[in-house]
Amino acid sequence: MPINYVANAGDIPEGTNIIVDVKGLSIGVYNIGGEFFALLNRCPHEGAPLCKGKICGTTLPSGVYQYEYGRVGELVRCPWHGWEFEIRTGKAIFDEKVRAKSYKVQVDDGKVGIVVG
Amino acid sequence: MLNSGRMVIDVDVHNSLRSARDLLPYLSEPWRSRVASSGTGLPSTGYFNPHGVLREDCKPPSGGPAASDPDFLAEDLLKPYNIEYAILNGDLMGVSTMHDPDHGAAIASAYNDYMANVWLSKNDAFRATILVSSHDPLLAAREIERMADHPRMVGVIMGSAHRGLLGQRQFHPIYEAAARHELPVAIHPGTEGSGGAYPPTASGYPTRYLEWHTDLSQSYMAHLVSLVCEGVFERFPKLKFVMLEGGIAWLPHLMWRLDKNYKGLRSTVPWLKRMPSEYIRDHCLFSTQPIEEPDDPKQLLAIFDMIDAENILMFSSDYPHRDNDSPLEILRWLKPEAKQKIFYDNAKKLYKL
Repeated sequence: MPINYVANAGDIPEGTNIIVDVKGLSIGVYNIGGEFFALLNRCPHEGAPLCKGKICGTTLPSGVYQYEYGRVGELVRCPWHGWEFEIRTGKAIFDEKVRAKSYKVQVDDGKVGIVVG
Repeated sequence: MLNSGRMVIDVDVHNSLRSARDLLPYLSEPWRSRVASSGTGLPSTGYFNPHGVLREDCKPPSGGPAASDPDFLAEDLLKPYNIEYAILNGDLMGVSTMHDPDHGAAIASAYNDYMANVWLSKNDAFRATILVSSHDPLLAAREIERMADHPRMVGVIMGSAHRGLLGQRQFHPIYEAAARHELPVAIHPGTEGSGGAYPPTASGYPTRYLEWHTDLSQSYMAHLVSLVCEGVFERFPKLKFVMLEGGIAWLPHLMWRLDKNYKGLRSTVPWLKRMPSEYIRDHCLFSTQPIEEPDDPKQLLAIFDMIDAENILMFSSDYPHRDNDSPLEILRWLKPEAKQKIFYDNAKKLYKL
């Protein structure tokens, strides 16, 4: 599988993302706690630019009228309809069968590469 | 490339002021000083989308809120989606729920002049609707009269929250003026529960935005039954009524229930000459966004058949609101003829574009 190097690791500070073009695909590359992840910049719902959405946390499943906030920095919320996705896997929070396309990322000699087949 | 080649007419676009100060040149005193010091004064519903109402990805590079720059709106919405005409409805429909009818009417008039001067001359694709406040229907009718001859003002816009059900006689001057100028009257949700409006549901105030937004269709159902039963379409046979953003999946239920009730209770509305649902089919149009999304699209197709959607439905994006729909993504399963009508022909005919 071809690796496309898109940035130096240092160019994507922790808790942020960049959007790059790889072979005509718009892809968001995220640094979550020092690990890198890549998502297609297209929401599976209506094609919105998902990776322009905020990196966020959310309320965790809880008892009625209990609020427990967590997963800070692990999720991205679509800038259109607000669907929340796990950056690590692309899985939607409301139903893990709904997925944003994700790509394997590897870092070689400080360079961030995305594997796009 | 987003462009699919199909030309689209978008019947619900929410242009925005850069700030309330944009209205100042078109306001006379005492309203000018008031708006200069404290804004439009539009009441809030108290229901907040925690993520905000505006899309985060379409802020104009020139600054200002989303959809406040006519050139960027053309670049960001019209061009990529092949939108030939956009009906600009603004976002000041709350004028109808303000407590002071003169204040609401003044804001509406200033907005209409602002649209004529700032937006409508900017782009041949732009068409606008005349904003009125229903609080004083006579003032509303006068405003329609004042703006109706503008060649790019193609309809009338109001919120869907009012001090009464829209079929009732106090609102008829609005319909008389609109029908005389052959301008469709549209309503748009979002002000339910604000200012002098009734609670946003018939059973009170829901707790959160999620519920409020889901319940908005209730307001549409009540207005639609009222419009038919009060004989609005008998009295104003040329009137067309557009129900924007209120949903459509509830229509079969409403038409069946109303027709069934009418059979035994027609003596209470002797002015109706046809089955109630026929007035809806002949006089009312609906917009797509936010399109209902059952897990199985065939279920929505069945509803489309029940309501003859291809003849009463028009595409709307709702740009730049978060819950907007893309014309390239929704209703892909429609047959080409139905698609052509819903995404283009129905709006072209209604607004005489």
